[in-house]
Amino acid sequence: MQSNQVSREPYPPGDFAIWIVIYVELITFGLLFVGYAFSRRADVLTFNNSQLIINKTSGFIDTLILITSSYFIVKAVHVIKSSNFSLQKANQIASKWLLAAIAFGGMFLVNKLLEFSDIFGQGITLSTNKFFMFYLLLTMFHFMHVTLGTVILFNIFKKTKKDGYSKEDHRGLETGAVYWHLVDLLWIVLFPLVYIIR
Amino acid sequence: MINKKVEIVWIILIFFTIFAYLLGKLELINTLLVGVLLVTTFIKGQLVIDYFMGLKNVSYKYRFIPTLWLTLILSLVAAAYY
Repeated sequence: MQSNQVSREPYPPGDFAIWIVIYVELITFGLLFVGYAFSRRADVLTFNNSQLIINKTSGFIDTLILITSSYFIVKAVHVIKSSNFSLQKANQIASKWLLAAIAFGGMFLVNKLLEFSDIFGQGITLSTNKFFMFYLLLTMFHFMHVTLGTVILFNIFKKTKKDGYSKEDHRGLETGAVYWHLVDLLWIVLFPLVYIIR
Repeated sequence: MINKKVEIVWIILIFFTIFAYLLGKLELINTLLVGVLLVTTFIKGQLVIDYFMGLKNVSYKYRFIPTLWLTLILSLVAAAYY
């Protein structure tokens, strides 16, 4: 019986303040997700017809990009926290993973801008109908989070260039990492809800 | 070992994402498959919470909050759909 016991960390990774931010973000997006779902229930036809206009492939590519960039961040944190490399080498490797994640973040933003450009080019706005109100609100709000996340990752990247993280001191890296994973988690729910379910 | 798990998690996440995309793109989505899609979304979310956010081996009270959020949101989405 006792062999199944796992020693648990008392606190989550990163600064505790980021977890307050994460919980607030989860509640905010959660309300929008539920609002979308019940608004759809009230007017299924409008939602289904409008959904045909948005680009599923673009949403799919965005999901692959975010999942993969999150994976890169896990690798960066792992190198600093758990590898046996020297401080300099560990920071050097982590910076490469971070740069890859930042590049993917940039790709997400460019892809999203192209998607928005296509939507606005068709004369669609927040007031077109309830589907597009939710679609634009959710995706643009999420876009802002990816933008902020990319800026945070860039600052972490700059610190790795100065060998700023070690096995003992990597809280800043973990804080940025969990924020990026939050952005990923939110998109994981947003993608099927808005782009696929009909 | 931890690294290997992360690689497996990434593959599962990609696999479920392709599954969701194909359901939408090929217009295969129906009442039953929406349920399957929501279950795979829950699995994806929980994998991100456990292995990417690193809450797998953290005190239950911290792991519980995002898991509860995910369960609640997907249950309400299901309730609205069905």
